[in-house]
Amino acid sequence: MKTAGARTPIALVPPAAVGVAFLVLPTVALVIRAPWSDLATIYRSNDITSALRISIETSLQALVLSLILGVPLAWLLARSTAPGIAVVRALVTVPLVLPPVVGGLALFLALGRNGVAGRYLDRWFGITLPFTQHGVVLAEAFVAMPFLVVTVEGAFRTADRGLEEAAATLGAGRLRVFSRVTLPLIVPSLAAGSVLCWARALGEFGATLLFAGNLPGATQTMPLLILYAFNNKPQDAVALSLPLLVVAVVILGLLRDRWLRPAAAS
Amino acid sequence: MTLEFDGTVRREGFVLAAQVRADPGEVVAVLGPNGAGKTTLLRAVCGLLRVDDGSITLDGRTLDDPARSRFVPAERRRIGVVFQDHRLFPHQRVIDNVAFGLRSQGVAPREARRRAAGWLDRLGLTDLSRRRPGQLSGGQAQRVALARALAIDPGALLLDEPLAALDVQTRAEVQGELRQHLSAYPGPTLLVTHDPIEALLLATRLVVIEQGRVVQQGTPAQITGRPVTPYVARLVGMNLYAGTSRGGIVALDGGGEIVAPDAPDGPVLVTLRPSAFTVHVEAPHGSSARNRWHGAIAAMVPLADRIRLTVTVPQPVLVDVTASAVAELRLEPGLPVWLTAKATDVTAYPAPVR
Repeated sequence: MKTAGARTPIALVPPAAVGVAFLVLPTVALVIRAPWSDLATIYRSNDITSALRISIETSLQALVLSLILGVPLAWLLARSTAPGIAVVRALVTVPLVLPPVVGGLALFLALGRNGVAGRYLDRWFGITLPFTQHGVVLAEAFVAMPFLVVTVEGAFRTADRGLEEAAATLGAGRLRVFSRVTLPLIVPSLAAGSVLCWARALGEFGATLLFAGNLPGATQTMPLLILYAFNNKPQDAVALSLPLLVVAVVILGLLRDRWLRPAAAS
Repeated sequence: MTLEFDGTVRREGFVLAAQVRADPGEVVAVLGPNGAGKTTLLRAVCGLLRVDDGSITLDGRTLDDPARSRFVPAERRRIGVVFQDHRLFPHQRVIDNVAFGLRSQGVAPREARRRAAGWLDRLGLTDLSRRRPGQLSGGQAQRVALARALAIDPGALLLDEPLAALDVQTRAEVQGELRQHLSAYPGPTLLVTHDPIEALLLATRLVVIEQGRVVQQGTPAQITGRPVTPYVARLVGMNLYAGTSRGGIVALDGGGEIVAPDAPDGPVLVTLRPSAFTVHVEAPHGSSARNRWHGAIAAMVPLADRIRLTVTVPQPVLVDVTASAVAELRLEPGLPVWLTAKATDVTAYPAPVR
């Protein structure tokens, strides 16, 4: 691609360079200013273990929930010819553009103890969601699931229908065509969508704070712990950010080398 | 186990209205130009498309009949399809591709694999059973697709341009064995193609469709001997003219006459082989040939062992001459020539009523 590079308009280079600096510098600053020698002490004094555990548990649960609900939804959005499907698509992608804090508030109004649906959950089943770990999962899934849905929907849309037809002529019913042909075909996109979804859930902050609170040992995830630390001992917040930075780098590496390679589909 | 399609399929700006029948053991080639409705026919028969009117039956079982609100979906028809692009599942090994249909019918994994292995053996594919479709050549992929279709013990077999996706050399290898496998298959086989060679090599009977209608059907010999449309005539390399015969003289629709003593009175079709003509550069005298035209050479195309001229008299006439005749007579495009043909080389037969 040397020829393409040679034809870049010069005027685009300076703003692009500033853009790179703007995006990279803060991360570099984080690494430079991290209190490397005191990491162990800081991690011990801030109960990082339980926040990390809650973060990982809830984000994985949110991913599972997103897969269970999101994959069928993505299939319907991609393939259904039902009237109004475009409206449904617009509605389910609202959380993509909605500020997470507003999302958390909305969740509270829907599923809170006095919420539109939450009051019945409480009254009939004795289920309370806000300020619990399940609440964290819901808040994260609410914000993260659309990432999975959008990615997987695109894959369902472009998956080779010819193979599905061939499977049907071989006697496979619709569910078998879906599970044995369509789903395996979109595995690369499913993986990429899952990583995006999980990363978004792991970093979720606003919706979690409003819907599940910030209770250490129960609903306090890593992002919330970082906020808490930042208000008291800013230096600790820097140290606590490092594990999330590592996770981000690992995710980037996975996406690059495993799942976003075009050849992975064959 | 007779397969019968007698129906109408309407699509945007296109209507397929045809009757096609294939008996057990018969290989019927549906031959037609691109856009004639061949693929539509195939998709309707295997259940990927519904007919708007009429019916499809296999072995007395109605597969599709809107008048009786009957439609058997593709997955319950048990009709084996070999698609032009093979459509092997890229994420499955060859053996699993072939076992897929059996597994879909509820056969246990081990038994399905055993039977699939049997089919691979029969088609000489055993060495490839652990490969993925991406690692197969075109000819191998085609054989796997055939094995996969045969493995479901289909009530009928459909093939969509089975040789079209293969390169010339592979075609030569594949067509012989494909013919063998098709003749070993006891049920009816329907093959759609736009390639007359493919049809003539593989089929026992041809059905020619054009613009959604059946225009001619019969054995390969019947079709090549008596083409009824310009398309078929071109396919088999014949000159075809329509006209009206009276007393052995045919007045052609496009102008001119042909002497054909055997022609029945009334609307007829007349065919002449390109090799039946003699070319003269001066007006012929004393020739016993009763058909004589004057025109100019419009085009010259070299064929394997001869040169094919298109002479406009003004109707286009295909004429085959030897290379030495071209040199001797100094034939070239634009040159005025006389053509003669003996009346005995003319074949005339009643035009089909449309």
